[in-house]
Amino acid sequence: MTGTADLKEFIAAYLVEAEEHLTVANTQLLAIESAQRSGETNPRAVRETFRSLHTIKGLSAMVGVEPVVAIAHRMENFLRDTDRSGGTLPQLAIDALLRGVRAIEQRVAALSRGDAAAAPSEELLAALDSLGLGTKPVARSPVAVLELEPALLAKLAPFEVEQLLRGIAAGQRALRAEFSPSPERATQGLTINSIRERMAKVADIVRVLPRAVPMSPEAPGGLCFVLILLTRSTDDTITDAVGLNRGSLQSIVRTAPEPVADAEVAPNVESALDGAEDGPLDALSRRGVVRVDVSRLDDAMEGLSALIVTRFRLTRAIASLSESGVNTRELTEILKDNARQLRDLRAAIVRVRMVPVSELLERLPLLVRGLQRATHRLVRLELEGGNAELDKSVSERVFPALVHLVRNAVDHAIETPDERLRRNKPEEGLLRITCGARGSTRLEITVSDDGRGIDRAAVAKKAGRADPAGDTDLLDLLCIPGLSTREVVTTTSGRGMGMEIVKRTIVDELGGELEVHSQLGQGTTFTLRVPLTISIVDAFSFECEGQRFVVPVTMVEEIIEVDASDFVQLPANDDGSPTLNIISRRGAALPMLQLAHVFKLQSGKELSARKAIVVRRAGAPIAFAVDRMLGQQEVVIRPINDVLLRAPGVSGATDLGDGRPTLVLDLVALSASLTRGTPGEAKAASAVTQLPARMR
Amino acid sequence: MKLHVVFSIAGAEYALPFDSVLQMESYDGATLVPGAPDYVDGIVTVRGLVVPVVDLRTRFGLPRAELNLDTRIILTESRARVVALRVDSAREVIKLDIDKHQPAPSVVIERSSGFVHAVHPLGKRLLLLLDLPKLLGEDSHDSKSRALPEDDGSLDRAQLPG
Repeated sequence: MTGTADLKEFIAAYLVEAEEHLTVANTQLLAIESAQRSGETNPRAVRETFRSLHTIKGLSAMVGVEPVVAIAHRMENFLRDTDRSGGTLPQLAIDALLRGVRAIEQRVAALSRGDAAAAPSEELLAALDSLGLGTKPVARSPVAVLELEPALLAKLAPFEVEQLLRGIAAGQRALRAEFSPSPERATQGLTINSIRERMAKVADIVRVLPRAVPMSPEAPGGLCFVLILLTRSTDDTITDAVGLNRGSLQSIVRTAPEPVADAEVAPNVESALDGAEDGPLDALSRRGVVRVDVSRLDDAMEGLSALIVTRFRLTRAIASLSESGVNTRELTEILKDNARQLRDLRAAIVRVRMVPVSELLERLPLLVRGLQRATHRLVRLELEGGNAELDKSVSERVFPALVHLVRNAVDHAIETPDERLRRNKPEEGLLRITCGARGSTRLEITVSDDGRGIDRAAVAKKAGRADPAGDTDLLDLLCIPGLSTREVVTTTSGRGMGMEIVKRTIVDELGGELEVHSQLGQGTTFTLRVPLTISIVDAFSFECEGQRFVVPVTMVEEIIEVDASDFVQLPANDDGSPTLNIISRRGAALPMLQLAHVFKLQSGKELSARKAIVVRRAGAPIAFAVDRMLGQQEVVIRPINDVLLRAPGVSGATDLGDGRPTLVLDLVALSASLTRGTPGEAKAASAVTQLPARMR
Repeated sequence: MKLHVVFSIAGAEYALPFDSVLQMESYDGATLVPGAPDYVDGIVTVRGLVVPVVDLRTRFGLPRAELNLDTRIILTESRARVVALRVDSAREVIKLDIDKHQPAPSVVIERSSGFVHAVHPLGKRLLLLLDLPKLLGEDSHDSKSRALPEDDGSLDRAQLPG
């Protein structure tokens, strides 16, 4: 069965969730007990316990763990009545309830070991039943009221049928919704788990029934979930909230009750599927699933960081031993092992922090749905996720930027249906978002639309600048802070709203890249490349005027030797900006800045740089002269967040083992700030704040 | 009665509520951050955090002092920011009756650029109470600082259509 992936994931989640709710139930039952010992009631705890058991029942029914359903249902009923009658429980009842929880725990544990859940003992069920009400017989024949195939009806427990009949009698609508899991839907964030979660907000889920169906494009896994619902919401509310097609909802109430022979109910028609469910359950149970708070992983990473710093100290100590003539061969060997182990440990922790990119994409369909409605655009969203994974913390930062681009595309780039028809385009605009790994360190995300494209000349004119020569220049223009404002956007439908924020997140914060490609009338594509993980990088350390710095290796194109006789100094500007030099590299002129000069580190004396670090910004290389290179090593980057410390070119701090922070430089950003952020240009930028980035 | 940390800068005594102070440390210099405001000495690592060191002398417009054995940094926390304050010395933690705080005379407020919000007479001594958020606040930025605007959720606001 090809649908096993979805089901497997689903059962894994079931085990985790059931365990969580069991913990809650236990804690709350004990809280009830201790409250009652001191002569008080704790209605909140009663309700919490009720909720946990209700959820456990629902989850268990969905995966077909009937023994748990039977136990949880009885406990739930009793707790509901207790809550209604004031929340006092006799000690006998608390004992029975705790036994019930234990019985469920045993069955969940059995499932996670790969064993079947044993049927509950008659004695336990009787004890639970004697607490309050058992299930009352249903007065009317369900078949007379419910429009449901016998096969499905047979799967419903008597109390579920009763719940449906009561709901209908009370004026609720009884519906069935169908959902077939597929890999494609999973990348759109539609899994039975997400459906169930969203559905629970707009309807009571009476039961979720898995059923085998013939394999088809609609149900590639040969698996379909039927959700039996009670609700007062409209079909539209439900399909919108859940993300299902309108057609997947159907009433199960007979409009004109006709007498139907009662005996049609065939038990266990779908035993084939029941059998198939054991497969994934088996495979799964052997792998434990743990939900972990990200902050705990951060703690582990923090511990690792400390280890790496200690290793630097060790390396230094051994180096100085070695300098004083001690034989350190064995120590050096141990150090090598230690380095390898640290690398492995780091990789292991990083792996735990990785989340699938589908997690990033699965929230977008709902967003687009809402935007379409608000902007009266018709948009077809295509998502292509793949199997790439990225660090949770990167994912969290990328998401707002992605939302931004999607909003802009629907809001401003894609034309209204009428306009599209006039331009011989399909009425429905296309928004395509792809995510894929680029090499082993970067994730590439593209956001493309087939909308109106960016009118470069108009943007340039309004910005008071020359026409952008290429896409790089266009992006620079779009990212001028405050380029488009509310007023501009509503009157001219320009794009560029807040593009500088996207750039700040992707480029400045994450050290990624941002590109745009746009063709007038045809559409626009934004490409984002972000590192899969952050925080530990391979870096060069170097010294400049007595201060140490590090720069990530990935940023560096080349390290070259420079000689004072090699370079030509250009005439100095009188505005105090750093002097630009030109050196010759392999026959080509290469601009070079003295880092000490840029950072105002030197005290007037002649510079004597020996090395230069070459980085490439937007395709053009630029060199930074430094005093000497110290080495290459893995460093832990600590973010520098305080507003007092936000300075161009400084992206973080690290500890090289001397107990002092060393600055991590972003020479690419630094060169950008130098070539663009001169005072004259800053003025020009602020003068165009009211201009749209893109005019029609 | 509330605990306060008392420290001195250029002969004057200042106080901060104890609950805004994380710890006090001896100080032997920070790593310079090019482009940071001139009253920022640089960064230090304390408890695994990278924190800026604000030299209160420079912040108050007083001449810088050489480092010596008395020099301390006071690690403060305010509005989820941790910032170290460099002071000449810090030796005392005392209980102050907040009701005895008096509004600072206008000349004091002026001379301290508004960083002193109250005074507290204590025997012959006079303690100056610092307004920490103001001292570290964004509004107090030097024009010289090339710091970028703080990420204050503007991303969310900018996401609203239009």
